[in-house]
Amino acid sequence: MHTQPLRGRCPIRAEVAQSPQGPRAPSGHRRWTGHRRQRPPRPRRRHSGSGCAAGAGGRDLTARPLPGPPRRVWQLPVGGGGGRGGGGGGGVRRAGSGMQPAQLGRAPRHLLVCERGHARHPRSRHAAHVRDHAYSCRVSFLIPECGLLPEVLKSTIADIGDYYLVRSLPIHELVAHEFIDAFVKKGSCYALTYKTKIDQDNTAALLPNGKLILSVDKDTYEELGLQGRPSRYSGKKVMRYIITIDLTDAGFHPESKKHNRVLWALKEKKPLEFDFLMAWYNTGAEGSTLMSYFSKHQIQALRPKITFSTLRDLPCPVLQSNDLQGKPEESCSTEELFEWLGAVLNQVSLDNKSSSFLSTYCCPEPNTVVEKAFLCTITGFIIPEKIIQLLEQLCCYFGEPKLAYWLTLTVHGFADSPVSWRESEHGFHKGGENLYNFVIFRNLDYWLQMAVGAHDDCPP
Amino acid sequence: MAGFADLNLPQGADKKSLQSLLEAAAHLGYSAVALNHVIDFKEKKQEIIKPVPPSELFPSLPIVQGTSKRIKVLTRLTLVVSDPSHCNLLRSTSANIRLYDIIAVFPKTEKLFHIACTTLDVDLVCINVTEKLPFYFRRPPVNMAIDRGIYFELLYTPAIKDSTMRRYTISNAISLMQICKGKNIVISSAAERPLELRGPYDVANLGLLFGLSEGEAKAAVSTNCRATMLHGETRKSACGVVYTVKKPRKVEEEETAVPACKKAKTQA
Repeated sequence: MHTQPLRGRCPIRAEVAQSPQGPRAPSGHRRWTGHRRQRPPRPRRRHSGSGCAAGAGGRDLTARPLPGPPRRVWQLPVGGGGGRGGGGGGGVRRAGSGMQPAQLGRAPRHLLVCERGHARHPRSRHAAHVRDHAYSCRVSFLIPECGLLPEVLKSTIADIGDYYLVRSLPIHELVAHEFIDAFVKKGSCYALTYKTKIDQDNTAALLPNGKLILSVDKDTYEELGLQGRPSRYSGKKVMRYIITIDLTDAGFHPESKKHNRVLWALKEKKPLEFDFLMAWYNTGAEGSTLMSYFSKHQIQALRPKITFSTLRDLPCPVLQSNDLQGKPEESCSTEELFEWLGAVLNQVSLDNKSSSFLSTYCCPEPNTVVEKAFLCTITGFIIPEKIIQLLEQLCCYFGEPKLAYWLTLTVHGFADSPVSWRESEHGFHKGGENLYNFVIFRNLDYWLQMAVGAHDDCPP
Repeated sequence: MAGFADLNLPQGADKKSLQSLLEAAAHLGYSAVALNHVIDFKEKKQEIIKPVPPSELFPSLPIVQGTSKRIKVLTRLTLVVSDPSHCNLLRSTSANIRLYDIIAVFPKTEKLFHIACTTLDVDLVCINVTEKLPFYFRRPPVNMAIDRGIYFELLYTPAIKDSTMRRYTISNAISLMQICKGKNIVISSAAERPLELRGPYDVANLGLLFGLSEGEAKAAVSTNCRATMLHGETRKSACGVVYTVKKPRKVEEEETAVPACKKAKTQA
């Protein structure tokens, strides 16, 4: 039962994670409430994470380019950031150098967007955010103070359903009208290529709204003959192109020029073949299943892998649902929670023992030690509809009085999928993470954190 | 973004060690490698032998980790030149040189560096990383090389082996970056053992130490290597536009061929 009236739009977009010193911090917040469709900053040479303020990484205030025409000035870092490399050894000339040693101390740009709202509010957008993120490879939830999973949750997890792996499927089969009528137009069909890297190979994905996205490299694009646009993260010499084909378009009927051209390109001009991961959410219509439709190809039904574990004596941060920033002695902020959760899900030990060489990470203060916590991980090709059901059941967990103050649900997207949220392009620079995390409180307030890596748009 | 490639794997005599090197490279995620044959003119006159096609050396190539394709193996020749007369080999139309996919030159003096960048028909110019550079890089030859599509190669394995070489590698690389501004760089290993190979993302991070930006460093292991391989392919064609392929002749067709003019009359 929330007591504070929510102002304006339901989920309050409270902040975008900001760099520690950022004098840009207030403007970063304002920028994103107004302009959702803003382009991500191009990764410029001199500094990373401009515009959308990046989190983490020590940023030197002096290592920013001077205003005006870009001049290459040698700037000495204030705190001695990063290494100077072999500066002492070779005769490194100072004047007119284009290199800034402070760059070494920075991580590639990444973004964390935090939002809060109330799950039972009529205009709450939690379900919409889950639906926008089409491809998830891992779902895990953590419930503190819980030893045994309730039966309802167990049955929801068991109900997650199978996904299919089809080997060597030529892509023109997905453009065939029998497939479109049987699966794309009835229910939501999800398909993603398997074992293809987004920054090296050709990739294809079928979104539930009927759009087929092909992310192809330069050679394939020039041979294929379909119209696409250059990838945003490709740099000056374009090496990657994105082709979008709308299968549910009115102009895409069997005899149209568009359809014939697409079929000719994918079947005869440059036949492309991939292994696909597929899933179909049936809205009750009768008809064939994926298994029977692709029986001529090698299709395999796979069940998501589920693991349960109980963590003992886990320090958990104290959180206040109406305070995203956290107060120094009273509650933790969202970034601290995000980091702590990452450590727990990766089984990093949190006690900072002097004999440990791997990690000196400690649980953020203030925290309470929880006797037991339940962690469940589901790995596979999981569709958003099932995640929404799971989220609902987790909200109902607090229907009866429980010891826990909050629980978390984390969903990781595929690192190699061509899209992250809706149709915004996703690239892989040094890490292709695109994940979101719900923190649900006793009073059914929720926090939603969405994180993306370097070659990615800001999440909606 | 192209697949990752490592353009310098020294071709030792041992087939088994090469096979283990290839498997290590495929496991790390490289989609293409080039087996390097080094010719040093300081030693007694060496003949340039015909390259052995990789399909004969390795009956089955390992699959690149994370994809379902096999690793691609190319052949490369490196000429270590310390005298202008050594370059004559490249100018002559020696049949054996044409058979290599990539040709690289390793100049030892400033004059030879200038010649390599401006006139020689090569794909890669190797930069010495094991000792202090005897000459400073100058802008005119480097810019000419960039215009001609020639790439500069830096090695990282000597840096793994020895700390003095590490300093020279970084200082030589930084002095090159100041002149070429990060364009046209290829970073490769010269790994003799699988332990000396590093993954492509790690090599891209190493490029940051050399002064490259994030995008340029990743390109040094992927896009620029692809460009070098294409540059080598164009040597087998006319200006990169016209390719010739030998077509097998069918003998029966020759005998029963009827001239076209006669054909029309008989059909009519």
